[in-house]
Parts: sequence; structure tokens; C-alpha cells
Amino acid sequence: MNNEQPKFTPLKILNEHERSEIIAILEDNFGIKKIEGIMLQRGKERLFLYKGSFTEKQIKNLEYEIPIERVGVYFAKIIEDQKSKERYIKLSIEGIQLLKDQITKNIYELQSDEQADSWMKGQDLNIKTALRGFIAIKYKNDFLGCGKASAEKIGNFIPKTRRLRDKSIIK
Amino acid sequence: MNFKSKSQPKSRKYEPKPEFVERIKLLLPDEKDYNDYVEILNYPPVRSIRCNTLKISPDKLKKKLEEKSWIVKQPWKNHEEIMIVEGKIIGKKRNNQKEKDSNIKINNQQKIQAKQDFEQPTSVGDDNFGVVVGDVVDLEPGELGRALEHMLGYYYIQELASMLPIIALKPKPNELYLDLCSAPGSKTTQAASEMLNTGTIIANELSLGRIKILASNLEKNGVTNAIITKKDGIALCKRLKKNLPEIKFDKILVDAPCSGEGTLRSSPITYQMWSMRTVHTLSQIQKQLFASAFGILKVGGEMVYSTCTHAPEENEQVVNWALNKFENAIQIEKIEIPVKSRPGITKWKDEDYKEEVKHACRIYPQDNNTEGFFLAKFKKLKEVEE
Repeated sequence: MNNEQPKFTPLKILNEHERSEIIAILEDNFGIKKIEGIMLQRGKERLFLYKGSFTEKQIKNLEYEIPIERVGVYFAKIIEDQKSKERYIKLSIEGIQLLKDQITKNIYELQSDEQADSWMKGQDLNIKTALRGFIAIKYKNDFLGCGKASAEKIGNFIPKTRRLRDKSIIK
Repeated sequence: MNFKSKSQPKSRKYEPKPEFVERIKLLLPDEKDYNDYVEILNYPPVRSIRCNTLKISPDKLKKKLEEKSWIVKQPWKNHEEIMIVEGKIIGKKRNNQKEKDSNIKINNQQKIQAKQDFEQPTSVGDDNFGVVVGDVVDLEPGELGRALEHMLGYYYIQELASMLPIIALKPKPNELYLDLCSAPGSKTTQAASEMLNTGTIIANELSLGRIKILASNLEKNGVTNAIITKKDGIALCKRLKKNLPEIKFDKILVDAPCSGEGTLRSSPITYQMWSMRTVHTLSQIQKQLFASAFGILKVGGEMVYSTCTHAPEENEQVVNWALNKFENAIQIEKIEIPVKSRPGITKWKDEDYKEEVKHACRIYPQDNNTEGFFLAKFKKLKEVEE
């Protein structure tokens, strides 16, 4: 191996304890009990999931030689409450889709094409529900990402690149 | 000819350079063939998509799209995931089987009209047109890209010819696969589907801007078995060979940067950008890319070299050069693809190429109503002595 250090921010592969913490939060919030694959963290909060055949060691060896931009898919973000220091997990659209078979609670089912349309345009849903915190949004058989439910609304986290634009496209 | 879609021919903003015309006439000496080629360049390519089977089955996707009143065809029998969206029905939805009998009489005229409007776009399609009611219109500009199913990653918008390298290479589950020039990710996501998200894909790209698009596409398509690397393709291969010799790939795709002569239907600005100097420069880079990639291919492994250009300097010349350079270590293979293709040429101007170069495939737009493409497949027979 050569002595050149990788110029990219080093990949952080989560250890068993760190993985367990993430899964425990997801179990509490969504009922998710098990996540297969290697979990990685970039920066303070972005989590990636890699389910390929490389071992952790092989990934690290590759990173030493070649700048790695990404491993696997961005599936979640760690959110820490500034006051309570409590940690939450916000799943990305892909995270929700990858783990949808295990999501058993905190699901809000959209009620109409119009509501699904608004959601996919990135608009908050001004509705009152009994749900609180991070929830999975579902419409018919499709999971449409993650929202945050409060007393008055469901906050929308659909990233700009995944939003529907202009007129209704759902139907 | 049989390529016209509902779309009107575009007025040509750019004109081909005389040298380009002269070269194409050399490649297409038959006058009718040449005229067909020139004619089809005036029409945009058909709207083709590939179902992302990591997320949804082709049947389910087709049903969803037809519920939106889109007219969807599956042109290649053994590739149900590949679809063409020919337009949509306004007024009433496309009929299901139950409604078919009751509507067929009163809407017969419209059915005939719809069939006339949408001619069969390829020579290898099955006719599943069915019965339609209401007016048939073209999709709105951008409608394919902003549909919910696209946003959710259920399909990838990909030109038909661009799907051929992966069909030829056939990456399989649990293999180690390298996509040397990966962005924007069309073929990488296609490979991930074929590999059922198992094994490992190394998706390499040098440009950070293009990496962002690649990462976004891999993410949208739920690709969990890929590692995106940022390195010049030639340097990447050399580094791997020298410092990580245990990494040898089962399959490699070298979809090389090229002069883009095959993309004139979707990108007419290529007429203006084209130059012989670029062709010669790219030819040198392509040879280096080929040789570097071949060095990290497993013995018994397979590699596809492809471009979206017709220029022999970037195609057969590269293939011929590689066959000579690697002699007994390389074998060019016959390719199975679901479209009409023409064999690689064995003579271009003053150069003669090996007979085996005929196993390469030239895809001309007028043959299948696609863009233009070139591909050749190789097997590594033994390690190359340095």
C-alpha cells in the first residue's frame, strides 16, 4: 500500500454497539427489529446502508487506495434534540422503502389522491392526528417517505429532487 | 420507414459538418440506407423506460402506468422490464378486459385511429396494444420524468440502445462488477437489478458534478450493493492492480467517453461539437481505458466495451488494437441482443482489422428506431504478462 492518505472524509463504519443503538430507536419508533448489511456514517448525522459482498475490511482497504464518495444507500439521518439530547432517526424515502416490510407502527395512510399529490409536492399536511414524532407516510401500497407529526400538522421531508412539480400527476 | 411517433420532426438547429457526412456515407454506402439514417435523425427517440425490478415487478408497474391512461408497450419479449410509453389517452381510461367487449363497437373508429397514430416503433415488439377509448395524445414535455412512479424509483428513463451493454454483459447475482465510467447511472442501476442487489458494484466516475447525479440515481433506485469511487478510470485500474491485486472483477463495463455520433436524435448539438480531432483524442483514451480495465478482469471474466458513436476509430480500431495487444489472453465473443445489429467492420479507409472484429455490433438508429450504439464483448483467457 502507498503512503498517500485519503483526501475524503474517512468513512465511519458503525460498530455493533452503535448499530444496536440505531436499531433500538427504529424499533421503538417504527417496530423495525433487524437491519442487515453494513451501516456507515458520514458527518455527524447521515447514515448509509450497504448490503453488498465486501467486508468492512475490504471497504477500508479500498478507501485507503481510492477516494470513496459513497457506500450503499443513504437511508437515515440522526436527529438530536438540543435540549433533551434525546436521539431520533428520520428515515429517508429509500430507508422507508427498504425497511417497509418491518414497519408496523407510526404509519399514516394518506386519504385521497389530492392528499398524496400535496405530500409529493413537499407540502406539510395541515391535519390533526394522534401520532407524534417521526412517522411513515403510506398511500395505497406505496410508502412515500417520512414525516413528523405534531398536534397541528405532519411536517414534510420529501427532498426537493424527489418532489412532484406543477399540476397533479398522481392520477 | 417505421419509426415515426406522435412527435413531430424537429426543425434542425445544427447542421452536420461536411467531413461527418462524408464519413457516414462511407459507413452507409447504400443510398436508401443513408437516407433512412438522415431522415430518422429528424425525429426524437421513443420514450423508453426500464422497470426497476428491485422495487416493483414489470406487471405491477405496467398496470400502474396504464391506470394513468398511459399506453405502454414491452418491445422485447424476454425483457419485460423494458417498456415504451407511446402516449396517453385523454377522456376515458384505457379499457380493461371486462369493459373491452362493451366498448369495442362504439369505439372501433377511435381504435383504428389510435393504431394509425402510433406505429409499431421497433421491429421486434409484441403487439399488446389493446383497445383504447378517448383521444390519444403525446405525453406532455417532462411528464415521464415527474410522474410519481419515477419519483419513487419504480422506473428509470433510459434510451433503448443504452440498455444493450448490460443485456450483452449479463451481470449475475453475487458477482463483482466494475462500471468504469458510471455516471449518470443508467447501466449501473440496470446491473444492480440484474444482480438482485447482491455481490458488489464499483461505480467509478471522475467528475464530482456527475457523481452527484450518479449518487442520486443509485439512491432513487434503491441500489444497496454499490460503492461509488471518484478517480480517473485509468488511474483507478492501475491503483487496484498494483495495490489491491486480490480485487479482480467477474464483469467489467467500459462504456467509454466518446464523440456521441449516436446521440444526434436526442442531442443535436453533437453536430456542432463533433470534430475529427476529438475522435482521434478519444480513441487514444479509449484504448488506455480498455487496457487498464482488462488488467483487473478475472481470468474467465467478461468485459463489454461500448460507445454511443459510429466512428470506427473509437470502435473497431480500439477492438482490433486490444485483440492484437492481448493476443492469446483475450477472446472476442458473440453477442446476444434483442435488436437488429450489423457486424463490426473489418476495413476502414487504409486500415484492415481482424476478422473477429465482426463479432462486435453496430447499432444504427434506422434499424430499430433507437439511438446509435456500438458494443463488443470479450472474455479473458489468461493473465497478461507485463
